[in-house]
Amino acid sequence: MAGWSEKVLDIDLSNKTYKTYPLDMEMARLFIGGRGLGARLLWDMVGPEVDALAPENVLIFTNGPLTATGYQTSNRFSVTTKSPLTGTILDANSGGFWGMQFKKAGYDVMIVRGKSEQPVWIEIKNDVIAFHDATELWGMRVFALTEKLGQNNNKRNVLCIGPAGENLSRIAAIMNDRERAMARGGPGAVMGSKNLKAIVVEGKERTEIHDPEQFKFLLYETRKLLAASPLTSQALPEFGTVVLMNIMNNIGALATRNHQQTQFEGAEAISGEELTEKYLVKNASCWACPIGCTRVSKTEKGEGEGPEFESTWAFGAQCGIDDLPAIIEANTLCNDLGLDTISTGSTIACAMELSEKKYMDSDLRFGRADQLAPTIEAMAYRKDVGADLADGSLRLGAKYGHPELSMSAKGMEMPAYDPRGMQGQGLLYATSNRGGCHMRGNMVGPEVLGLPKLIDRFQVQGKSSFVSLHQNSNAAIDSLVICKFTNMGVADEYFARVLSAVTGIHYDTGEMIRVGERVWNLERMYNLREGFTSKDDTLPPRLLNDAPTDGPSKGWVVKLEPMLKEYYRGRGWDVNGVPTPKKLADLNLDTL
Amino acid sequence: MPIVKLYANLRKIAGTKELLITGFTVREVLRGLVEQNPLLGKVILEGENLRPHIVITLNGHNVVDMDVNVNEQDVVAIFPPIAGG
Repeated sequence: MAGWSEKVLDIDLSNKTYKTYPLDMEMARLFIGGRGLGARLLWDMVGPEVDALAPENVLIFTNGPLTATGYQTSNRFSVTTKSPLTGTILDANSGGFWGMQFKKAGYDVMIVRGKSEQPVWIEIKNDVIAFHDATELWGMRVFALTEKLGQNNNKRNVLCIGPAGENLSRIAAIMNDRERAMARGGPGAVMGSKNLKAIVVEGKERTEIHDPEQFKFLLYETRKLLAASPLTSQALPEFGTVVLMNIMNNIGALATRNHQQTQFEGAEAISGEELTEKYLVKNASCWACPIGCTRVSKTEKGEGEGPEFESTWAFGAQCGIDDLPAIIEANTLCNDLGLDTISTGSTIACAMELSEKKYMDSDLRFGRADQLAPTIEAMAYRKDVGADLADGSLRLGAKYGHPELSMSAKGMEMPAYDPRGMQGQGLLYATSNRGGCHMRGNMVGPEVLGLPKLIDRFQVQGKSSFVSLHQNSNAAIDSLVICKFTNMGVADEYFARVLSAVTGIHYDTGEMIRVGERVWNLERMYNLREGFTSKDDTLPPRLLNDAPTDGPSKGWVVKLEPMLKEYYRGRGWDVNGVPTPKKLADLNLDTL
Repeated sequence: MPIVKLYANLRKIAGTKELLITGFTVREVLRGLVEQNPLLGKVILEGENLRPHIVITLNGHNVVDMDVNVNEQDVVAIFPPIAGG
């Protein structure tokens, strides 16, 4: 069938063998690819008896039917696994070039099971799969390793872990194409637990397109729409994602000093405007992306991709630091060591608060830019204070008797948006299936930027339907799998049309969103099977009880309970947040 | 006088981050701003209305009614189309 390669590569590292077999095409029709297909496969493979860092956990790499077709932003791919940080289902996706190359190698899915006795790296050249000894590569950082293994953007692409993944940091990322990250939830630790250092791909196959004429037309239409939208043609290329810093601070929803405040007096100094004026070298793009939001920044210490808004916030406002060069360097260091920047920055912030309150004996203090780089190094190698921080803020807080100071949901550190000033974002964090995450239905569009239409950010009643809709839409886009920024210029309808043109299966917008809802419910079922309950759909006490004392969000806490009740009802779940049999049947999930 | 704060490419167009503009409503402040800097008007306004994706806040709260009152020392912040995640 067009779009999909219809082929699964299944690798067992314990005995260094592999097999290939056909993809279940009914499964592909229902879950498309990327995050959806990964979730469906993980459901069958990894149950509650499996520890996330045990050989029985798997890494499932997936692309989608649009990948490598040349459709705008069709470069992304996913990894799905059980998270060593949260214990929930985890998928993380990334852009760059590797996903495109993986599809060209002829596979929709690659499953990596077991554990190699010795460090190993895998080389894939279409049907030729080779296992190489990685003993001498073990310990190498990401940038040097990527170069050594022959990264060549359009021909040969490297995916790997850094020292953080080797040392099983539960906030370790899998990196690809040097500085792209599958960051959240610790997939790098799962790869490290398998003694797998890198996967290099080269491919030559073309993705078959069912209706080339219609596809060409939609490609043209999408190009026009992206060029016409000021968001995708001007805002993102000119200032990148960091441009959000000032507006979030302006409205009093910029989490500051481990969420102790909602405005940061140093926001201007770490803003997108400042980055662009003083440190931007050039823009960069992922494969087949006309938007080009990637920044390449330079300080006295070197040059690197980024930083994105979230990374700048995590090392900036969240740590009370307004030194932009230090933040840029912290971001580059995390990429080189293979660490999730959001979790790393927020864990350092948690340690700073624990230390300032004398719950923890360390010299970490808010505002100390000089402490960023050494602390990050220590985390990746589990040395000194880093040994306590390497597994994220919840475990750190628990060790020192104050887990409530971890600004996380289900154990994953939340991003920059302080939900006391964005009620819908609070509900999003609390219900996100992979923990505190904005990429599962970011409410900054409707609650702040008026995209597609402004809704009152403090409104509680009726908010849950917006959150559900965004979650479903995002799950569908993650299953295609393309970049969510495309959606700022192009409506969901286009994605359904292009999916139909590529695969020959008719999807309308409603059906595509239904795929998203199916994925969301399956992820929920996975977490319930793992033992999570509605009690886990919550936020740190600070956000539920402590209102900011000044700024535009003064007096507000997240009013979670009424939103949650409404959300469960709206999703067709019972009062305990369990999908009803009818809902599961409606979504073709009743046979699981 | 109310303080007008500009962000992203609006700063380049206006040649400043911040201005003081007379006006008793957001609409009047915008009118004053555009009179002072017609180029900004082309970017922000489409006739009398805001262009799509322009965000204006008054003391950190999204402005939905352009005729809302503005007091001395109030901060009117104007953002061009911005996005991110």
